[in-house]
Amino acid sequence: MKQTKNLKKTLLLLMGFCFALNLNAQQKTITGVVTAEADGLGLPGVNVIVKGTSTGASTDFDGNYTINVSGNDAILTFSYIGYVSKDVTVGGNNTVNVTLAEDLAALDEVVVVGYGTRKKSHLTGAIAKVGGAEVAAIQATRVDDALAGKLPGVLIQNQDGSPGAAPKIQIRAASSISSASNPLIVVDGYPISGGIETVNPNDIQSLEVLKDAASAAIYGSRGANGVILVTTKKGKSGKATFSYNTYVSTSSKYRDNILMSGPEWAANARSQIAAGNWTSTVATQDPAFLEYRLSAYENSPGAISPEDWLFQNGNTMSHDFSMSGGSDDVNFFASVGYQNAEGVVITQGFERLNARLNVDAKLGDKFKAGLSFNGFTSNRDILGHDMRDLLRAYGISPVLHTEESIAFVQALDAERQRLSDAGVPGLSAPFDSGYRGSGYEASSIYDLEPGMAAQDWQYGRANNGIGGSGDAGPAAKLDNTDSWEKTFFGNVSSYLEYSILDGLNIKTVLGGDMTDTQAYAHRLLGFDSRARDSQTFMNQTDLKVTTVLSETTLNYAKVFGKHDVSAVAGVEFQTTKLVGTALAGVNVPDTAIQNFNLLAPADITVTERDETRARKSVFGRINYAYDDKYLASVSLRRDGDSRFGANQRYETFPALSLGWNVHNEAFLADNEVLSKLKLRFSAGSLGTVSFLGSYDALSLLSPAATVYGTGFLIPSNSANENLTWQTNTETNYGIDLGFLNNRFTLGVDYYTSDIKDILINQAQSEILGNPTSILNVGDVRSSGVEFELSARIINNDNFSWSMSGNLSTVNTEITDLGGLDELPQAIYGQSGRGPVFRNYVGGGIGEMWGLETIGDVEMEYLADGTRNPNNQTGESYVVDQNGDGVIDRTRTVEDGGDLVKIGQNTPDFYWGMSHNLNYKDFDMSFQFQGSHGAEVYNIDPLYYGSQWGGRLDYARLDANSDGIADQNGEYYERNRNQTDAMIQDASFIALRNLTIGYTLNSDLTKKIGLSSIRAYVAASNLLYIMGDDYTSYNPEGVKTSGSDYLGPTTYGAQVGASPVVRSFTFGLNVNF
Amino acid sequence: MKKIFLLLGSLLFITACSTDLEQAPPNFASADSLTDFEGVLNAAYYYQLGATTPLAVMGEFRADNAFMFEAPYTEFDVYTSNLTTMEDQFFGPLYTALYKSILSANNVIENSSDATEIGEAKFLRGLSYFKLVLTFGDVTVNLSPAPSLTDTSILVRQPATDVYNNVIIPDLTDAIDVLDATIVDGRASKYAAQGLLGKVYASMGDYASAEPHLAAVVNGAAAAGISLKDNFDEIFGAANEVGNSEIIFSTQIVSSIVDEYSFASRFWNWFVGDDSKSDFPVDPDLIAAFDAVSGDITNPISDPFRPDNGDLRRRVTITTSDVTEFDPITETNVVIGEEEVLTSSKFPKDGGLGSEHDWIEIRLADVILLYAEALNENNAPASTVLPLLDDIRTRAGLNSLTGTVTSQADVRQVILDERRMELAFEGHRWFDLVRTGTVDAEMGETVNSNYYVFPIPVSEVLATKGVITQNTGY
Repeated sequence: MKQTKNLKKTLLLLMGFCFALNLNAQQKTITGVVTAEADGLGLPGVNVIVKGTSTGASTDFDGNYTINVSGNDAILTFSYIGYVSKDVTVGGNNTVNVTLAEDLAALDEVVVVGYGTRKKSHLTGAIAKVGGAEVAAIQATRVDDALAGKLPGVLIQNQDGSPGAAPKIQIRAASSISSASNPLIVVDGYPISGGIETVNPNDIQSLEVLKDAASAAIYGSRGANGVILVTTKKGKSGKATFSYNTYVSTSSKYRDNILMSGPEWAANARSQIAAGNWTSTVATQDPAFLEYRLSAYENSPGAISPEDWLFQNGNTMSHDFSMSGGSDDVNFFASVGYQNAEGVVITQGFERLNARLNVDAKLGDKFKAGLSFNGFTSNRDILGHDMRDLLRAYGISPVLHTEESIAFVQALDAERQRLSDAGVPGLSAPFDSGYRGSGYEASSIYDLEPGMAAQDWQYGRANNGIGGSGDAGPAAKLDNTDSWEKTFFGNVSSYLEYSILDGLNIKTVLGGDMTDTQAYAHRLLGFDSRARDSQTFMNQTDLKVTTVLSETTLNYAKVFGKHDVSAVAGVEFQTTKLVGTALAGVNVPDTAIQNFNLLAPADITVTERDETRARKSVFGRINYAYDDKYLASVSLRRDGDSRFGANQRYETFPALSLGWNVHNEAFLADNEVLSKLKLRFSAGSLGTVSFLGSYDALSLLSPAATVYGTGFLIPSNSANENLTWQTNTETNYGIDLGFLNNRFTLGVDYYTSDIKDILINQAQSEILGNPTSILNVGDVRSSGVEFELSARIINNDNFSWSMSGNLSTVNTEITDLGGLDELPQAIYGQSGRGPVFRNYVGGGIGEMWGLETIGDVEMEYLADGTRNPNNQTGESYVVDQNGDGVIDRTRTVEDGGDLVKIGQNTPDFYWGMSHNLNYKDFDMSFQFQGSHGAEVYNIDPLYYGSQWGGRLDYARLDANSDGIADQNGEYYERNRNQTDAMIQDASFIALRNLTIGYTLNSDLTKKIGLSSIRAYVAASNLLYIMGDDYTSYNPEGVKTSGSDYLGPTTYGAQVGASPVVRSFTFGLNVNF
Repeated sequence: MKKIFLLLGSLLFITACSTDLEQAPPNFASADSLTDFEGVLNAAYYYQLGATTPLAVMGEFRADNAFMFEAPYTEFDVYTSNLTTMEDQFFGPLYTALYKSILSANNVIENSSDATEIGEAKFLRGLSYFKLVLTFGDVTVNLSPAPSLTDTSILVRQPATDVYNNVIIPDLTDAIDVLDATIVDGRASKYAAQGLLGKVYASMGDYASAEPHLAAVVNGAAAAGISLKDNFDEIFGAANEVGNSEIIFSTQIVSSIVDEYSFASRFWNWFVGDDSKSDFPVDPDLIAAFDAVSGDITNPISDPFRPDNGDLRRRVTITTSDVTEFDPITETNVVIGEEEVLTSSKFPKDGGLGSEHDWIEIRLADVILLYAEALNENNAPASTVLPLLDDIRTRAGLNSLTGTVTSQADVRQVILDERRMELAFEGHRWFDLVRTGTVDAEMGETVNSNYYVFPIPVSEVLATKGVITQNTGY
């Protein structure tokens, strides 16, 4: 203790030196402006006191103040609730402008909780909070992108790097093995039907994440995946303010090109041959043929690697206007935002427009009312075809033919003929005899015209030219596909609040919202160089989700001496309607215009949805605090949901939490080091409904045409009147520590979660009408630890530096599968090239199993090493685990096969760290995010390398074809066959954001009539460290759709993930 | 103050309005919401479609009329446990489709108030269980439209005799009582039910009970507009299926209607050699059988190149193609005759997808032959039995057998042979052999009786954790 005191003295002394340079006692008037660090806006009502005197003043609406001081050595103390107080020595200045930072550890900070707010010091649950300024400071297309790494226990994974694509948000443990675990999004008290992307990041005042059961239990059946509460900005009384934020940025993919073009390949091949590495594979080729091929690679005019064509620099621009203000009675906040982002992959793009209006009014002494509107539209242009397949192109041609490339292929064909006539074997087939269709552009290389898409077959096949599979060229593939998604979202809600008695209010909320999602994709005839009708399709879906919510709550809050009591009770009704149609067309005619009317009626399949979901709830909560020491909270919610079976439609979700502010006890009151010591405990139960269909408990007869007339066919569900909630019982233990007046704080939470009655699609007898039924069986247990650290490392007038960091772990185990040992195994990847996904009792969710490999089969054993760019052997030596002389990749070692666990896409731990620094008029912030221990089954290298490899010369590798290599006696297997050769480390450390800003001196700003102006430069992913063995563009990427993707049970296969994006931004914030 | 309570009251009222947890979609139906069960009955008919191809393949390829070409399909021609590999292709879809038809029928029977609909549903349920028993022997019986998902005891397989006595016979008896004698294409009728019931009794070996029902059909046929077609080839083909007087009941198929099991409607595919698994499916044994009757003719065809100069049904049942020879005078190829190709043209490819043929379930010739069989088994004299075959044989260009055969055993054989020629590729042969106990004799080998029935889908045994058992031998 003594040491600390000394340290404090030293610090004070140092500070004294800094500020006491100009000692000059004389009366003078100081003026200045106090602004908030977060948004640069003037702070009204800040207390300014001359230290050691009773002289004081407070700031006006714009944050201006005037005060008389006795001399240059006077010290001004600036204090404001919720902000860190600051002492400033006047010195020789007549103007003292001060920036106050929000006090993150302030005892009276208010945290938004479900259906109310609570003082942070009275919190008993696990709630993570992030301020709106922090969200807006990151130039993301979506709010959730900006949250990456900011919150403990919240995993944000950039599964798809394309602009506007939703990241995975997982709060604590996955709460389901049936579907994604997306949290509930509540905006200003309204659980919206749209996603969090509908909220403009600039409109956010604060964002709270309810993590533990006790905090989320008030949301009952929807709380199991966690709840994100978004509070948007409200107007303040006083002069109207206007804010304009804009930025432009340019982005490119983070990782450098990894693929070779034909000419690069030729150079590589020549150097490998010269080095003697490919001696025996090259020896199988006729020297004249080898030279013909290599020089063809070298000389192909305009040949580019598919990467050079597919990736680009994308530009983004963003504009945000907001206005707020009000009188004593009416306040408003309004904003319009627009953003247009280009992807780093050609054709990718994202455009959004947001508008918000929040109006709050006092109607006399007793009534308050408000109305808010949020509108959002977005248009997402999606890469129309699998990126993996586009990058798999050979890199032997330009994208579109030129005069030179046409002359080249014709000359190459002539050269082939010349060599063939001279007796070089294997070159007798003309290029035109290749694997191609007719009727689409040119079907002969002698009919090519400049501007036509280059196709592989036009360069011959690998054995008579330098072409490859006969696939269409990448341009032909991409130009004949199209895919987009449009979202329209609108939310209107209003409230009326009446103060019945002092401390007792009743409030009614009525609102509605609508999300309309439209998606379209087509693939036309030219996609396929063989012009097959069967390769075409045209799909369009339109789904409108509308919800109507009405909610009435009774709030009570009162302090009686040392007793602080607050309570809320309410009823809530929400009705959700889903109306939609999906059209799926096949055999799309080859016409310039695409329209479903051009398709034959039998080629169009129509699916329609018209569903209603209803929920009724009653809920209540009582919070109690005694003397700021002993805290308790009890909540209860009873939900009824139309989606469940008639016998099980209602469920009650209770929660209890307790807290003890130990630092407020007398025995710690004098402790100057330990400023906070709080113990928290909570337990509660939650439900999950999010992935259940509207009528899964019912047995509905689906209408279909039959020869006999309309038929009401057997339902796709068996009626299950006992279908009910998954319930998640969670216990949380927390400790909060603060040191040196909370300059350093540390929070630690440990939780366990037990999910019972998991909804699993169980196999059943066909006699019941369906091969499977959703039943409540199974149990998954999880636990995790979360650390949150914050520090105000330096805090003085000229220089401040604060940081916060967090680290989280999650561990999940399947403990019961309703009597089964294991769910059916699934191989998920691309065309069966993926790991065996296993979900068994005692294991984690979605474990990847496969054969253990011990090295690549050498390039020497490739049948033809120079065959095509990026060629690899594509096979590895594998371990016969049980030594039975057979490599069995269908069964585990335990079951007599050779499968072992090879990976899992859940990190061992993940973390984030952010720093904020201010020096005079400069500010700087940076944000790191890291994840460690997750793996992906990355299919891409197989495709980039020689069309998934496996063109070995078995006569040399394994003359007797017994599956054992002759030269080393080891078993070998194709990498694609469920081996760990494709398992790569998905760990990463990313510098997500780095921003450096400069705020113009306020004197200057005032002269031009502005209240503040700030310019900044920022970079995202300036640094992104990937695992050593990771070879693609985005270690976070995983496939989350496709016919055999079954949700979390088959999670972790990577197929052509859109790259990690690095961007540089220049931005401006102007406030009037 | 009063005003305020009014206001508070209205706040609560806003909240309390609407929200019903009993939700059902307007564009779907449920057993509770329907008042007219015709659509459910249509579904019960529709699901019979899924059993057509399996029955066609099991009835012919398992027996001596057809054989498979490509492994593992060749398992059909041998009698071992390996037949389970064909589950996904045949037994599985048949099992699924028939139990779906049963569920739909149960729904109509339990909920409809229309006696005719119930009668049709009972016919379909009886038909479904009959097909199941023929295929699998003992089977699970479910008479509920919404069986319990959790009570696995209801899934236990019931002895075939119980299924016959407790389900099939009562259902068909009820159907006979309420259904009309007039035939509507694709719909159950009194005589369809009665003909089927006769066949059911015959399959049980209860010829005494079979005889009156079969007699009722044969004798009542004319009045109901049921009669044999003049020419054998007029029975088959999409062009002949509308209002065909000989067809008592058929499962309707058109290619524009989606079929749940996409091969279900393409049973013809297996016979015409369109599938590489059965390039040349006609079993030489069937050809030999036709050859054996070549001398027994009423109108011999003089053309020496035509090998079908016996039974007229031969040309309908086995495909022929022209044989040509180069004529040096005209310098062209001329047709000099025909040769047989080992595929069947009984159900030629019709329409775009070829799936335009209805699947004939019961036709008059089948009932007549069954009636003759029943009479013979019930010890009627050959002189009474054999004239029944005359119309069929005359149409086939063959002589009457009356007077040529006398013993009960010989009569039994000629009826079985007649059935083979008449009904080849209509899915009857294997089940006829099993019913008449002539598998070994006709197949010319000893077949373990375990393999008279087919394997229960393995997925059923797994999904029910063994409550549904596998047939012995599989």
